[in-house]
Amino acid sequence: MTRPELIQFFKKMASEIAEKDLSGVSEEATIASLGIDSLQMLELVGAMEQQLGVQIPDEQLVGVQSVKQLLDLVEKRAQMKK
Amino acid sequence: MAGYPSTLVEALDRLPGGEARGFRFVTTDREERYFPYEAMRTEAHRRAAFLAATGLKKNDTVALVCPENHEFVLSFLGASVGGFVPVPIFPGATFKVSDHYVETIDHIMTAARARVIVCVQKNLEIIEKLRERRPDVIIVVADRDFSGQAPPFTPPVVTPEDLCFLQFTSGSTSKPKGVMIKHRNLVANTTAFLGPAGLNRTPEDVGVSWLPLFHDMGLIGFVLGTLIVDLQVVLMPTPTFARAPRLWLELITKHRGTITYAPNFAYQLITKRVSEKDLSTLDLSSLRIAGCGAEPIRARTLIEFGEKFSRCGFDPKALLPSYGMAESCLAITFHRRGTPMVVDRVDPAQMKLGKAVASDAGDALELVGCGIPFPGHELRIADENGNALGERAVGEIWSRGPSVNDGYFENAEATAESFGGGWLKSGDLGYFTGTSANDGELFICGRKKDLIIVNGANHYPQDIEWVVGDIEGVRRGNVVAFSTMKDGVEVLVIAAEGNSGDAARLREEITKSVSENFGLTPSSVSICPVGALPKTSSGKAQRRKTKSMWESGELEAHP
Repeated sequence: MTRPELIQFFKKMASEIAEKDLSGVSEEATIASLGIDSLQMLELVGAMEQQLGVQIPDEQLVGVQSVKQLLDLVEKRAQMKK
Repeated sequence: MAGYPSTLVEALDRLPGGEARGFRFVTTDREERYFPYEAMRTEAHRRAAFLAATGLKKNDTVALVCPENHEFVLSFLGASVGGFVPVPIFPGATFKVSDHYVETIDHIMTAARARVIVCVQKNLEIIEKLRERRPDVIIVVADRDFSGQAPPFTPPVVTPEDLCFLQFTSGSTSKPKGVMIKHRNLVANTTAFLGPAGLNRTPEDVGVSWLPLFHDMGLIGFVLGTLIVDLQVVLMPTPTFARAPRLWLELITKHRGTITYAPNFAYQLITKRVSEKDLSTLDLSSLRIAGCGAEPIRARTLIEFGEKFSRCGFDPKALLPSYGMAESCLAITFHRRGTPMVVDRVDPAQMKLGKAVASDAGDALELVGCGIPFPGHELRIADENGNALGERAVGEIWSRGPSVNDGYFENAEATAESFGGGWLKSGDLGYFTGTSANDGELFICGRKKDLIIVNGANHYPQDIEWVVGDIEGVRRGNVVAFSTMKDGVEVLVIAAEGNSGDAARLREEITKSVSENFGLTPSSVSICPVGALPKTSSGKAQRRKTKSMWESGELEAHP
């Protein structure tokens, strides 16, 4: 999955889980500013894990603040798998 | 009630040996680890010895912050065998770990007089930060320090009068309160709700749960209670449920689960998330109890869950709404097992006057029956003076009996507020239908106290207000947090005084701060002109009044 595809997937799942339009979100935005709670966030991580066939340990999520940091982490895990 | 053990430690001793029966833990990497009871018992004795070697004496408290369920359970049991008093604590926010989190642990340890804390390697880095606040803290790392030959140790005798653990109410930044659960309370409550008058445990039962273990519903419902009556369980980590909710039902399918429990929000979430295609891979025909509690129950949620999953063998009569609180260990009332859910439709205008008048109108409130108390326990709907009210009159729910605890640890003031004359004054509002509160049907319809319950977790408005008060441009004391119902679900609202030029920034920063510190997203943030929040004569913001003004649209706010 290319980076633009990953961003598209993130926006689609975030909008679905948060039940609001998040298609205009930028990568620089903080996750907290999206108005999704911690539970919805984990579900979003779960959706990306499933899509890319990776698993992200909880402890790696500590410190993740922006959308970009999260996508970088997912991408890195996916590359490690290859 | 011959046959039941009198303490958790006795229960552990009496569980069958061999490999046949035990607990199954799903780890965070989704592997299953099976621990026969015998292995749990042996490991608990080893851990008791290691804990004693840190200098712990009988009845000393020990904080437990373990994000891996098997490490949590084995360490808890180790503390119990050693005669120590575990203090379970929420194992950390997954995303940004804030200073407030470390502060909360510090406050709880102070209130519990705990010097020792047990964590695991993966949260050690966070727990190490405690050293800045308490240089003498003793940190034990469960998956590192409990290995090798255990030191010699002779466990003390643990009696029903001994404290089993302290249940701290969540949040607790300001004034943590630790409910004292004694072994006798624990045995009384668990044998009541798992016994013949409750879920009626059989040797074939399998419990499946993803509930967090630092909270009574997961800890007592699926670990301590199930050990006392020998009920096998499959435990999955809460963050794994959050990432992949469907796994909950897949585990029930795979292990032929018969008993599960969850707050309302989880039933709503899973009904939404499971696709038509997924339904064909699930088989919920083994499930005889699908309990619901810990937060207000919405009739519609359970009805929709029942309708959807009846297509994969689920029997809607398995739905079991219930009511309880930590001050009574866990359970206070249970819906009658195996009978259809009871829904009462009442007039909303009469409800405001304290009367639950049945109504068929379109705007009627739908409330779910939470059943009856257990044998040996008594329920009262009390008026302002503590007198018992009759059928369909709204009052405070009081409970009395052997499950009711003695109060909060070293906190006489809070104890006096909630306990008296053997009664637990719940702070929740309810009414009953039928001839008496003890054989009718209990309905919960509100709350006297200003507690905020979202996604099954309790939050104290004081804690949220304190954190918001730290934001530049907000004055401490001029912030109010409360909850309101939106589409039948409880949501958080924050109102703070601030300048109009700052309003947009403040709304964003408040949302961000609340999200980082509590994992909650406010449904609405109102920035009001200075002086707009109603205050008492001493200048304290009035939460109740603010809420009613906000709900009626009278609260002035900047655009």
